Parts: sequence; C-alpha cells; structure tokens
Amino acid sequence: MNKNSRRSPALSRRQLLKYSGLGIAAVGGSSFLAACGGDDGGGGGGGGGGEQHSGGILIHGATGGGSKDTLDPHAPVTSADISRVNNLYEPLLFWNNDYQIEPALAESVESKDSVTWTVKMRPGVTFHNGKTVTADDAWFSIKRFADPKAPLSGGGQLSQIIDFQSSKVVDETTLQLVLNTPYAILDSLLAEYTTGIIPTDFDLAKPVGTGAFAYKSFEPGKTSSFTKYADYWGDAAFVDELQIQDFDNDNAKVNALQAGQVQTIDNLPYNLVDTIKGAGGGVLVAEGGQWVPFTMRVDQAPFNDVKVRQAMRLIVDRQAMIDQVLSGYGSLGNDLYAPLDPAYASDLPQREQDIDQAKSLLSQAGQEGLQVELFTGDDIPGNAPAAANLFVEQAKKAGVEVKVTKKTPFYDDNYLSYTFAQDFWNTRNYIPQAVVGTFPPDQGGTYNETHWDNADHRDLVNAAAKELDEAKRSDLLHQAQEIEYNEGGLIIWGFRQQVDGYGANVQGLEPSKYLPLGNYKFNKVSV
Amino acid sequence: MTHVATLQDPLEEVAPPRGRSGAAAWTIWLLRRLGLALLTLWLVSVLVFLATAALGDPVRAILGRDYNSNPGRVAQLEAQLNADQGLVSRYFSWLGGLLTGDPGTSLANQQSVWDQISDSVVNTLVLVFLSSLVMIPVAFGIAMISANYRRRRPDTWIQTVLLALAGIPEFVIGILLVFVFSTSVFHIFPAVTIVSPTGGPPWESAKGMVLPIACLVLAVVPYVSRIVRASLLEVLDSDYVELARLKGIPEPVVMRKHALLNAIVPGIQVIALQLAWLAGGVVLVETLFAYPGVGRQLVDSVRNHDVPMVQALAMIIAAFYIVVNLVADIISILLTPRARTAISS
Repeated sequence: MNKNSRRSPALSRRQLLKYSGLGIAAVGGSSFLAACGGDDGGGGGGGGGGEQHSGGILIHGATGGGSKDTLDPHAPVTSADISRVNNLYEPLLFWNNDYQIEPALAESVESKDSVTWTVKMRPGVTFHNGKTVTADDAWFSIKRFADPKAPLSGGGQLSQIIDFQSSKVVDETTLQLVLNTPYAILDSLLAEYTTGIIPTDFDLAKPVGTGAFAYKSFEPGKTSSFTKYADYWGDAAFVDELQIQDFDNDNAKVNALQAGQVQTIDNLPYNLVDTIKGAGGGVLVAEGGQWVPFTMRVDQAPFNDVKVRQAMRLIVDRQAMIDQVLSGYGSLGNDLYAPLDPAYASDLPQREQDIDQAKSLLSQAGQEGLQVELFTGDDIPGNAPAAANLFVEQAKKAGVEVKVTKKTPFYDDNYLSYTFAQDFWNTRNYIPQAVVGTFPPDQGGTYNETHWDNADHRDLVNAAAKELDEAKRSDLLHQAQEIEYNEGGLIIWGFRQQVDGYGANVQGLEPSKYLPLGNYKFNKVSV
Repeated sequence: MTHVATLQDPLEEVAPPRGRSGAAAWTIWLLRRLGLALLTLWLVSVLVFLATAALGDPVRAILGRDYNSNPGRVAQLEAQLNADQGLVSRYFSWLGGLLTGDPGTSLANQQSVWDQISDSVVNTLVLVFLSSLVMIPVAFGIAMISANYRRRRPDTWIQTVLLALAGIPEFVIGILLVFVFSTSVFHIFPAVTIVSPTGGPPWESAKGMVLPIACLVLAVVPYVSRIVRASLLEVLDSDYVELARLKGIPEPVVMRKHALLNAIVPGIQVIALQLAWLAGGVVLVETLFAYPGVGRQLVDSVRNHDVPMVQALAMIIAAFYIVVNLVADIISILLTPRARTAISS
C-alpha cells in the first residue's frame, strides 16, 4: 500500500474535489456559461404560431431522477417521474393551464350533498392495450392510491374521507363515491396528476394508461421512451416518439439543450435564461404557486407571542427576496398560500417591510435584541438557503440576530420540530393546503411545521370543505385567511414562477400555472 | 519533484522459492498474490458493510418527510432490510449473496441490484479503457520529448503546460471542452451522452465519447507524463546509458531501448493508480457529460440511502482497484529482469 502514499498530495486534492466539487462545478459552470452566453444576442424562436408538423422524436431533458425513478402512476417523486406519469396516465379530472378543473377521463364528478358523489366516465376511452376504460378501473385505481393502510402520493387525504364500504361501481360508466364526511371539493383531489386511472390488471413492469403516449422502454436514472398513442381520445401527439432523459446536473441539462441534443428542459436555472435565449432557444415563463416559507412555531418562545410573529413578517423585504433569491422570477406573497385558489384573499393589504413597526412590536413583546436560529438545508427546493441568508441581513436592520444552521439532510427526524425553519410547497388550493399544513397531525396536518392549532380557523376551513355553494365557501375561506394573515406562523414572501427552456424548432408549448412545460402535455408539442 | 520516488523494490515482497521449476515457482507466486487480493477484498467487504450499517436508519432517509404518514411502506422496507436480524447474520447473508452473484434488491426501486449496476460497470470500464488507450501513448510520447529536450525551451514549455493542466480540476477542463466544442464556439461534438432508449450502450455514438475521453485524458496525462519523464531522466543519467552513447549508438535507439524500457516500471504503477482512480472517481466527469457510469450511480445511491446498491458498487470499485494493481505488479515484475529471475530461479 506504500504505492498510494507516494501520490498522497495528488490524491488528497482529488478527494477534496470529489467531495466538495459538485457544488462548485454547478456554480462555477453556470456563471461561466451565463457570462459567455449573453454576448450572442438575438431573440428566441419557436414556441409561437406557425404550422405544427407531425412526426419526429421529442427528447425531453428532465431535472433529477435516479435509481429511485418509477413509472408508478401514483407515486412519482422527481420532475422526471412527474413528466412521465403525465404522458402515460390521466386522472378523472385535470387542472388546465389556468389551474381550473377540467374533465378528463370522467365527464363529470358531481354531488348534491357533498357526501355522495357520482362519477360519470367518459365513453369510448381506451387504454394503450385497447381495453375500454370503465368505472371498475377507476374504482380499482382509487383503492390503489387511497389505500388507508398505505396511501400513495395522491391519496393521503382521500384515504381518510372515502367510505370504502359504501362506495360502489353502479354500472360500466358510473362510479358512486360515498364519503364519511362532507367534502365539497372532492373534485380537486381527483384532478391531481398523482391520481391516474389504470386498468384492473395493471402491471408496473408493462405499464398501461390512457395518456397520449404509450410505454416503450424505461431505465431508472437514465432514460425512458414512449410511442404516440394513435387512438388517444384527445388531441393525438404530433411527434411519433417521446424520450425522457434524466439529468442530475443542471449544466449537463442546459448544455444538452444548447447542443440540440434535447428539445425541452424543465426548471431552467434563472441565471442561464439569457444563455438559452442567446443560443436561439426559447424560455417559457409561467405564473405558479410554489413557495418557500419561513416557518415559526407558534407554540414555542419567542414565536408564541403573536407580536413577535407579526414583527418577523414586517422584517422581510419581499421584493428583495424575489429579486435576489428568484432572480426576479416571482410574484409577491402576502403570508397567505394558495394564490391560485379562486377564494384567495387578494383584497387584504399587501404587507411590506416596516422596520420601525417591527421594532416597536418587538419592544412591546419585550424581545429587543432577539436572537433566533434559522434551520435550512440544500434539499429544500427553491433556493431556500439563499433566502435564509438574505433574511439574516434584513433582520439585522430590526436588531434581530438570526443564526443560520444548514442541515444535511434537512428532511430528517427533526423536520417539523424546529422553532424557526423553512420548507417547500407546491401549488395547492386553500382547503387541502390548510388541512395538511395547519391542522393538528391527528386531523390530517401531516406537515404542520408551525404547530398552528387554532380552533376558529379550523372550524372555518372544515365548514368551507362541506359547503357546496361557491360564494359561501369563498366567504368562509376569506375569514379563515384573515386569521392566518393576522396571527399565522408562516412568512410567505413570494411565489416562484416556473421557468423552462426549449429548442429553436419546438412549437406548441403554452405556460401553465400547474406544472412545468404546459403540464408536460407533450402531445401538443411539435419539433 | 515529490513525484520522483523510487518504486518499492519488488524483490522485497517476493521470497524466491528455491529448488523448484520456473513454472511451478511462478504459479505459486501468482496464487499467493491472488490469495492476498482475495483477503484484501474480504477485509474491504467487512469495512463496507460496517460503514453502511453505521449510516443511520435508511428507511427514514428514503421516505424523508413521508416517514410518519406511511407506516405500511416503513414496515415493507424494514422487512426488506432484515432490520430485525443481528448485524453478524445480516453480514453473512449479504456476503453469501455476493458470492453467489446476487447482491440483493435495490431499496429505492425494488429492482435487482445486479441488473442495474451491470450496465454502468461496463460503461465505466469502456470509458476507462478507451481513455487509457489514448492516454498511455500520449503520456509516454510527451515524457520522451520532454526528457529529450531536458531543461531546454521545449521541455520548459511542456512542463509548464502539464503543471497548469494538473492544477485545473477535471470538471473545469470538461466545462471548457463543452463550451468550445459543443455549445458556444463550435458545434462539433455532443455536449452530453444521450442514452439510447432502445438499450444500446452509450459508446454506440462514437462522437459522444470524444469529449468525456478527452477530458479524462487531459486530467490524467500530466501525472503520468511527469513521473515517466522523471524516471527517464534518472535513467538517462546512469552509467550504462552513458556507455551506450559512448559506443556510438544513435540517440533515438538509446532513448527507446536503453532508457525507456528501464524507466517504464514507475510509469506502469502510476498508470494503474490513475486507472483505478478513473473507475471510481470520475463522478464529476460522468455528471458533467451525463455519462451513465459507476460514479454517478454511486452518488445517486448514496443520496437515496440505497444501502444494497452502495455496498455492491463499493465492492466493485474495490475489486477494480485490486485487479488493476495486481496486473500492474505482474507487468512490473515481468519487465524487471532482476525480479523475474528472482521468482523463477
């Protein structure tokens, strides 16, 4: 082994790079490319009008993915998984580009009392193997993802509210779902991409769905391919084949787009937007509802004093957060989530940085010179550590000393126990988000970071969940949001816009508020 | 010149057996080396197993923030890990699996570990093999030119460039190569490896291999070149080379026959180490070029806390280190007359 010691200086340099280099590579490479790409100038092509041509192969570069990749319709994790399930499978309903519910495999999902729901299947829809989609398949799928013993991604809440004894298949095209509690927005749960309908003889090794593309091949962590499904009930795809390539590195992904090896990529890093535009590609920017809040535990000092929470919310310079953390690709947050919900309380005054008011609140609470520890981590998506560091600077102005502690991984045993931390959330409407994020754990609040436990708020949300009349529901939700706006433990400074990239010849992409690249509906894309 | 260190004398580790035929002596020597290699591999397996067992609860790591909300999946994963058994019995069932060619099932996706890693192992081996095909002649060529012009201008230039290359991390070289040859200046080569979904290997597209290989060659050549140059210079100063020159043998022949053959052994050793490093340590290069190799898979598996995958990959990388070093030792001995005769006599 003495041969190794001879080379120890070189080895240690290499090892250093091996363990610390990945991050540097990403950062260094990105800025290098950004700096060089800006010179080219020129506008983006494609994406707009013009005749769309049929044929060809579309290669999509997906962010993330690895050996954990799955084609399971009900348990997608990474962007790569999500892009695959959205082309293979379809739910009963679907969120459209404006985040409105549209019928998909169901023609209608209706209820008179918000307890008994009738699902009418769309006639004439076939699976990729030619079999007609029936209510049996829908019931089988629901039982699979909402299994009360082991619910999958899309079924967490459904598993608790469906009465599996009373629900039944009425006939080939009708499914009757009976709930054990009134729930007026059941349709929104059945519109998630994680609730795809699969046949009763589903086999994950040869997955069959109803989407515009049928399964051809799949290698976890590497690549997958899908062929156009000619008998698709909606608009059949333009391209003959869809390939989805995994990229665990942003540079490789963007390089591949620039070199023309892939036609679309999701989650284009903000600093590379100009590079892609300069190279003749296009950038798709969509409003979104993703947010990275600061979470204050309302049951622990110092945040058990509402004045301290209010002061912290006044410390944040929201526009600066958006400009620096999101490179400007974001919209202002008002400490309320679910901005895409029709009931979003957009009339509440926009909260702005007010250091004097924050100081005065802190002194009223006897917390001048407050010191707090803020927990963050690189595995929180959405550039969370950058937001944490910026918050440190902003808090200094109000005399609050924030110490940032970076956890690796952040999502470990201590997640949900931090007094002051961050988290990441995707777009959701108000009721499901309020339940999962602000209810006590035994009432469905699986991820209640702030330990918020407010009976008034809960009653309003529960009442709204039972209310079929949309105006009345909005009113209840408005009251609930007011409580959170005044007393809540979340600092929601902004919502991230979705930025994706595409090559020069790509046409048919439209921004969507729901998922990247126009909900990954690649049947609308031509190359 | 910290690199200029003499190779350990092969005579030291080989006690020459007396009174046997050459072939038998060679066989015994080889068997002993193989036995030692297996012993090393077994020790590595103990270390790998202990290290991965000490990583903490993999089930919690895999499920992340869903751990508390999905008891069914927790129970399933724990059953698969045999979490109820003791450490020792888990080790032996794992070792038994390895020996019978069944390294287990991946925790992350429930597929066979072997099915998943066999492709990446082959991919990485091909990448390393092709890189060494280019790297070895280039490194030796540069070393010979450099030694020939010792301390004159061409040598200074070459040494400066080599030092600079050695100082640049390989991923920076890779980024520069991509920038120049595929995205911004020229569009000659593909920037990343696109795995063909029809199941073809990545080297199906020869063009796609050019930049990864170039990047690895540029990363490794400086080390090999500098070592070979140093030992060449040492040999060129020796008495027998001086004598050969005095006898009037032309300089190219002196260089080739008298100097190079005697300077080759340290070169072989450093090449072996570099190749072994390439097999396990090309994570950055594989990531940059999205090349589906062992390094990327290892990083991914560690990130997923996929214990069976990490164990299998660590064992394969260790085995590669051992095999490459064994081969290098054998070649070194074959090329060193003193050591050769010591074994067979």
